[in-house]
Amino acid sequence: MFKVANMFVSVLLLCVFSSSVAFAHGVDANTERFLLANEGVAIGPFLYIGAKHMVTGYDHLLFLLGVIFFLFRKREVLLYVSLFTVGHSITLFLGVLNNISVDPYLIDAIIGLSIVYKGFDNLGGFKRLFGFQPNTQIAVVVFGLFHGFGLATKIQDFALPKTDLWKNLLAFNVGVELGQFLALVFILIGLSFWRRHRSFYSFSNITNTFLMTAGLILFGYQMVGYSVYG
Amino acid sequence: MNKIEHPIQPLSSLIKALALASILAIVILITVVLPAEYGIDPTGFGKAMGLTVLTAPDEKTVKPTMAACEDTESEREDAVKLLLPAYSGLEYKFFLKKGATLEYSWKTDGQSVYFDFHGEPQGDTTGYFKSYKESSLSADSGSKDMPFVGSHGWYWKNESKSPVTVYLETKGQYQVIGLR
Repeated sequence: MFKVANMFVSVLLLCVFSSSVAFAHGVDANTERFLLANEGVAIGPFLYIGAKHMVTGYDHLLFLLGVIFFLFRKREVLLYVSLFTVGHSITLFLGVLNNISVDPYLIDAIIGLSIVYKGFDNLGGFKRLFGFQPNTQIAVVVFGLFHGFGLATKIQDFALPKTDLWKNLLAFNVGVELGQFLALVFILIGLSFWRRHRSFYSFSNITNTFLMTAGLILFGYQMVGYSVYG
Repeated sequence: MNKIEHPIQPLSSLIKALALASILAIVILITVVLPAEYGIDPTGFGKAMGLTVLTAPDEKTVKPTMAACEDTESEREDAVKLLLPAYSGLEYKFFLKKGATLEYSWKTDGQSVYFDFHGEPQGDTTGYFKSYKESSLSADSGSKDMPFVGSHGWYWKNESKSPVTVYLETKGQYQVIGLR
């Protein structure tokens, strides 16, 4: 039983990691074709693109995994995920509507760092090394803001028509939340199975270490990209 | 409910975790990610694992597909009538070499349509394409020197609720690929 639960979690983590390669920096060819050719309101497609971006967006998912790793109560999960949602929705809208352009490599590098931060935080690193605990709720909003800029840069790559832009954006944003909810359900099911077993506690250190590793890899990957192509 | 309850690790295991995470990240980055993503391969491991083909230039993979047809392009003229159903688009393409010129003229039966005149390099599998002209018009003409070998042509989209016919005339050294 415990073995099954463990296996489930590792398979889940594997899925999160392996979905990464194709969508490393934005959208696939079909989506690109659609975005370039699209004019006017297209609620359905933008909902779908938003959801797909989140479900296949390993960087967002790893951060979320870190955020809810030690959240045991449903209310807390809801609170933190809502704060994250508020953060990324603000910058997604502000970024696209005001045409604020941020270098996608730098933004994705910061998103990588947000994962490192959360792994470090989950190990109690701030308290131990610096003697204080940064407010985790403010942190999740602030990093949510950066994640939102990341979403915005993906949309901005395609000079979308100005008319009714906000409707498409809203659809994209709702799609993002739907995708996030869907992914979260699976992560939570995996986590709650795992938490019944002691291995959750004996492996929580190594899991958060790997979370930092993944974040650092993303950070390095984007920074090299920035120095080569940026 | 303000504070997350989680264990604070002792300094030694914290340092271990940081060291392990950093070393692992650097090793994976240098041996796997950079070779596969950018073709930067200081250790040679990426090449040994065949990862660098993911970023290798297209030249090697280009040849076989169209090589057989290469000498069959001759100066030709074509005219074609295309029907765009309501609310839908289609793509019509030609194969041209680098530097070849396509003279074109197209018109609809009056209705403006969205179009994207673009080219896709031969052998490209990433979905990349270069747009030459993109607008909404009911007619357009001109001539275009192609910047690379590959398939070049139009994507038209009819956004009205009635079908639109596009009449396309072309002249140049090309092969017709046709509807995509």
